[in-house]
Amino acid sequence: MRYVLPLTDPVLSTRSICVTLSGLRILDDVSIGIPKGTVTGLIGPNGAGKTTVFNVISGFVKPDSGEIRVDGRKLKHIHPHRLTELGIARTLQGVGLFPSLTALENVMLGGSSRVKSGIIAQALAMPWTDTEQADLRERALAIMTELGVESDASRLPGELPYPIQKRVALARALVSDPKILLLDEPAGGISAGDMADLARLIMSWVPKRTVLLVEHHMELVMKVCDLIWVLDAGKVIAAGTPEVVRQDPAVLAAYLGQEGAA
Amino acid sequence: MTSFIDYLIGGVSNGAVIALMAIALVLIWRATRVVNFAQVGQAMFTTFVALTVQTLTGSWALALVVAMVAGAILGVIVQFLVLRPMRRADTSGAIIATFGVLIALQAAVGMIWGGDAQAYPQPFDNAGVVAFGRIWPISVYDFVVIGVTILLVIALSLLFTRTSIGLAMRASAFNPEVARLSGVRVSRVLTFGWALAGVVGAVAGVLVAPSSTVSPTTFDILLVFAFTAAVIGGLDSLVGAVALGVFAGLVISLVSGLSNSGNAPVVALVLLALSLITKPDGVFGHHKARAV
Repeated sequence: MRYVLPLTDPVLSTRSICVTLSGLRILDDVSIGIPKGTVTGLIGPNGAGKTTVFNVISGFVKPDSGEIRVDGRKLKHIHPHRLTELGIARTLQGVGLFPSLTALENVMLGGSSRVKSGIIAQALAMPWTDTEQADLRERALAIMTELGVESDASRLPGELPYPIQKRVALARALVSDPKILLLDEPAGGISAGDMADLARLIMSWVPKRTVLLVEHHMELVMKVCDLIWVLDAGKVIAAGTPEVVRQDPAVLAAYLGQEGAA
Repeated sequence: MTSFIDYLIGGVSNGAVIALMAIALVLIWRATRVVNFAQVGQAMFTTFVALTVQTLTGSWALALVVAMVAGAILGVIVQFLVLRPMRRADTSGAIIATFGVLIALQAAVGMIWGGDAQAYPQPFDNAGVVAFGRIWPISVYDFVVIGVTILLVIALSLLFTRTSIGLAMRASAFNPEVARLSGVRVSRVLTFGWALAGVVGAVAGVLVAPSSTVSPTTFDILLVFAFTAAVIGGLDSLVGAVALGVFAGLVISLVSGLSNSGNAPVVALVLLALSLITKPDGVFGHHKARAV
């Protein structure tokens, strides 16, 4: 059985993606679409292949077959470092911050693709590289202020509480001003109060940005998502609005088959 | 007591050169987890380039600048021709390859400039400075060496903390995949690291050349001291490389002065062994374990 939703303007879509890693079929004919300006969820039991979908879109995993389209244009070669140029930013499971860089430096790094001056100009400390660096710094601080972490700018990630680290990681993704945000378990390890903040934050980004959300916390997913794709064992088993997906027998079976999931 | 202090003072400029070479090793190690044994070969090659420029033009400063540019280019060539094709191999293969590059560069220098030791002209007064009624064991040239080293260390720290490429280098060294996701072109950053290490090594070569002669193998001993300093310093710490480089210079000067100079490498290797036994991560190292 194959789910195809009649999507009119998907800003990001995968078409028949198949991935085999060491003989295991991780993704089997996965076609999903993310309508522009929505929060779209990608859920499924552990090992369903959700992060692999992100890895394919990010260029870390090369699919055996299938294609990725952004704004209807097929991507030929996907390089991770080109992602932000395409207007896509991704956060990682956990936080993935650089422990030896300050919070501000971590956030500034997310704007690397916006730095236009060349390596040699920077190494020779050409004057225009200073203004560019100052602009990036200002921009990074503005986004940290938006997320309420500007007072931690000069701290190292290891000194910060986990929920703050998660916000710094979000700020790093936002600094490139992405039109598409891929969030990999943004609610992992944070409290109920922080979760409510996160939900408000995510909903504040749309419709300017489009969000693809991988998440285990069903409460958050059901609250913020306009559309949900459900993966199980590498296949799309259901898709629809939260109300539809919640009652889908195939989804219930997939989750109940995995005790303790979700 | 006077002689003890004199030996220490006399060791500082040599220590500065060792520190620079150790920095070059650390720059490559941080980026690629490879100890670049070819670094002294690259420095020796660029020092011969500098010698040629100096002979032709008589300008020490111009020779230094040309050597720095040549060092950057040679670093990039070594990375592209040897290290990049080997990036899928394990690091021990890459380290052995850098040995091969060292030998190839020594052979190349022998073919181009001959195998005989040549004198490198003294650009500044090399006599001990006279002050407070005595001659000190440090010359104007030593001050130039120390000054250039300090400037270079300051420039490097500004590069690492104030520029995007510096930020990208620090991030790529820690986790290249996450750096890529943030939009960093990690392969370019790596290449820049090889160029930068080449520049620093080239400066070390030109600075140390007048105090000895230059021949294809002159700098091999510098490798021993710089490697010792870099490893004891923790291999991924620039501060460690500078501190231990200068410290090595002082120890060598003391050992050479109080016994004879042939004992200096032995002392260096004993210190290296002791350090690896007692503090395997190095004095300034902050990574947990080193894959050997």
